[in-house]
Amino acid sequence: MHLTRLRLVAVLAASLASPVLAQAPALKPAPTAISIPFEKYTLPNGLTVILSVSKTIPQAAVDVWYHVGSKNELTGHTGFAHMFEHVMFTGSGHVPYGLHDRLTEGVGGNNNGSTTNDRTNYYENVPSNYVESALWLESDRMGFLLDSLDKAKFEAQRDIVQNERRQGIDNQPYGRAFEILTAGMLPESHPYSWPVVGYMSDLQKATVEDVKQFFRLYYAPSNATLAVVGDFEPAPVKQWVTKYFGDLPRGAAITRPAVPPVTMKETRLVYEDEVQIPRLYIAWNTVGENSEDNEALNLLSDILSGPRTARITKALVYDQQSAATVGAFTDASELYGAFLVTVTPRPGHTLTALEASADSIIAKLKADGPTADEMARVVAGSEFQFVSGLESNLGKAEILLTGSVFHNNPDHFKVQYARLKSVTAADIKRVANKYLTSGRVVLSMVPMGKTSDAAKADKSTKVTVSPDGGHYLMGSK
Amino acid sequence: MRATLILALTLSAVRGAPCAAQGFDRNTAPTPGPVTPIHIPGWTKTTLANGAQLIVTQKRDLPLVSFSLNIVGGSYNFESVSKLGTANFTAQMLSEGTATKTADQLSEAQQTLGTTIGINMTGEGGTISFTALKDKLEPALALTADMLLNSTFPAPALERIRGRTLVALQQGRDQPNTIASNVFSKVVYGNDHPYGRVTTETTVKAITRDDIVAFHKTYYQPGRAVITVTGDVDPAAVKDAVEKAFAAWPAGGTRPSFQYPPAPAPTKTTIYLVDKPKSAQSVFAIGLPGPPRDTPDYYAIQVMNNLLGGLFQSRLNHNIREVKGYSYGVNSQFMFGRGPGAFRAGGGIITAKTDSALIQFMREFHGVEGEVPFTDDEIMQGKESLIQSLPRRFSSVNGIGGSVAGIYTQDLPEQFYQEFPAKINAVSRDDLVRVAKKYVDLNHLNIIIVGDKEVVQGPLAATGIAPIVTLDLDGRAVPIP
Repeated sequence: MHLTRLRLVAVLAASLASPVLAQAPALKPAPTAISIPFEKYTLPNGLTVILSVSKTIPQAAVDVWYHVGSKNELTGHTGFAHMFEHVMFTGSGHVPYGLHDRLTEGVGGNNNGSTTNDRTNYYENVPSNYVESALWLESDRMGFLLDSLDKAKFEAQRDIVQNERRQGIDNQPYGRAFEILTAGMLPESHPYSWPVVGYMSDLQKATVEDVKQFFRLYYAPSNATLAVVGDFEPAPVKQWVTKYFGDLPRGAAITRPAVPPVTMKETRLVYEDEVQIPRLYIAWNTVGENSEDNEALNLLSDILSGPRTARITKALVYDQQSAATVGAFTDASELYGAFLVTVTPRPGHTLTALEASADSIIAKLKADGPTADEMARVVAGSEFQFVSGLESNLGKAEILLTGSVFHNNPDHFKVQYARLKSVTAADIKRVANKYLTSGRVVLSMVPMGKTSDAAKADKSTKVTVSPDGGHYLMGSK
Repeated sequence: MRATLILALTLSAVRGAPCAAQGFDRNTAPTPGPVTPIHIPGWTKTTLANGAQLIVTQKRDLPLVSFSLNIVGGSYNFESVSKLGTANFTAQMLSEGTATKTADQLSEAQQTLGTTIGINMTGEGGTISFTALKDKLEPALALTADMLLNSTFPAPALERIRGRTLVALQQGRDQPNTIASNVFSKVVYGNDHPYGRVTTETTVKAITRDDIVAFHKTYYQPGRAVITVTGDVDPAAVKDAVEKAFAAWPAGGTRPSFQYPPAPAPTKTTIYLVDKPKSAQSVFAIGLPGPPRDTPDYYAIQVMNNLLGGLFQSRLNHNIREVKGYSYGVNSQFMFGRGPGAFRAGGGIITAKTDSALIQFMREFHGVEGEVPFTDDEIMQGKESLIQSLPRRFSSVNGIGGSVAGIYTQDLPEQFYQEFPAKINAVSRDDLVRVAKKYVDLNHLNIIIVGDKEVVQGPLAATGIAPIVTLDLDGRAVPIP
């Protein structure tokens, strides 16, 4: 996920990064707490509207999702969906630049947007008496962005996005690891193979004309879902939604990219970075968040890393003390997923040995499955995690929107919850065997001049950045 | 792009919502409705038998509870200067086993309760905290008390923590933001002020188990503790539960005096350049010692800083990011504490525009000091953004707990939040300029820049803004070869 206006240091992790809700909201069948009351309807122009009242504080979140992200881009034009998101903050036909911030942060609210592989969101948190303003602002850029677009505004945002890339990736130790992994795991034509933030050379060549085409294709009410969550009266809000959005024209049907399944052999890569300590990354292709295996993959990652009793954490950090840090992560986008294990060694321990240790732990889990105690512990916190996510208006909006946009069901979190609670030890064993196979990428990020530090260095292919910064060179894959 | 021209041309053919309201002027922003009065929740304050303060705040819309045991004073006040890291190590060691539970059992118990007991340490405070479903409050309290009171501090765990910390310290030397923060502390406060302390490999290697045991005994005492419990709870029942859980915590301890040595005498504005070859960006940290949290200028500073570098449309971010495109974001802040916390401005700047960005930082500093007067609308935004965002502080159990704890750990008036809007509204334009001049002292700025020296040094020198001194990663002067 790439936040447009993040002010502090962001950890940007390309397409392996988890968007806010990619880790399935963890749920439990307590009938009262696991629910979000809402009302959903659709305007004649196709805009889906979700309203959810919560009177905790006198504020509300207005959150618009467009079902477009980096997977809708083409090779050579990477990063455009996210760059376009930035352009959406430069003013629109009836809203001069700056007024959006004036009517949000200037009155005690805030606003932001973010782009993932699959969707782009725009939101305002505002005092309740500014909900109508927020709807006016969102409708204007949905309908009239191009009326005020000019080259200078676009080019400034293009520079900012390039700085976002520098800050989050190019100038960060290990910053390129996720991009390299993804590029190694997927063929170049695969819609999830390039980073959401895009490659530098592609960013540089984007034009105003690209912005116009992208807007006309994807930014229409029929490709958008609006959520209003918080302290408001539904009747006037419905009137305002009709008033501001009702006459925006429906968009044409959208051809969505096909995402073919990928099979691969083991690919071993090494990249020299401005770091003193190497780090090992092992990544597998999995499945999208619509797969019923997704909840089991989530629990598998919790069994492998996290608390000190998790298997890889316990073995490498606590028992062997060969690693300073380890992590196991699952990330599921709409139509693609990945599973990742990372290990940072302590001095005197090689990546080769750490890879073997991690592999043996995974092999044992694949052979025996988790214990009953492990299963009980990894689901024990799920109800709390879900309920604590209900404290924020924006958090609730994102949960409802995820279900609505990807599953046509704002209540989809209940389906995920039921799945999570029904995962068995046999399911964990099954998905470990199904996905954590020999078809994987093993990437060693090593200090400059130390390719010999790579795990199985003699079998690893050196990765470099292409001269134009446009992609990674990794021999033939 | 998957765009095709044919698809684009068909868009205008379909119009929806023929009954949509017509005849209104989209050029006019809707008139906002009446402002909802800001509601600050009330809380109950009691004192436990051992002297710890207990503050309970109800928030009953969700079955959640947040617990935080806050210790007033932190590493600056209790840590030996030759053993920096002791406070943090002690905090970590509280999860390494108690008289009756192994470390793994402590971890398993937390997982089973669906919570995590977090133990954190900062310069002027420490916390032990968790958030959980309300029906897990009592067992989580018992576990927390066991960790606080009965930890055994096993020596092998110390060596593991030390080993991992040494790796993290080494990794920090590759991280430009970490380098900038460390060098900023060293340059602005020197070696003799607690605010200039930076934990190093040397100090970490000097820490012994005895140091941990002694720190634990000295530091974690109820006489300097403020406990907050927030959520779907009954105050009387909470008091009974907390008393019971911490009954074995013996009375003792007082709050530290927070008597710090003065900050070093101000020095003439200087650029301190830390070389990080081939950097894509230069990381800026510009600042100097500022006033303590209890300054009467607090409210004026909050509004002024909001306009200088707090808001997205603050002058710094508007100019350097939005207009010039030199950065993904720049900001400024006052790091308020009990002592002379720093004013600090900065961000990541594209290497090629390092000199240009510094010129713009200086221009905006001059601007808020009078060269570009604040407009009425700017001032209104600076104030409203602070006042009307208050409700969001009180929207979660952790937000409420932290906000209320701050009143008692920082010795603020109990009506601080209720009085906040009026105090902010009382700030005048003259106040803003006065505090800008006073605290953003253009003659005594420390300008730390971590970047590619070979590329940026010449252009920085050519700006004529200040002399350049080259420092190493630890803030020590690099001899001129």
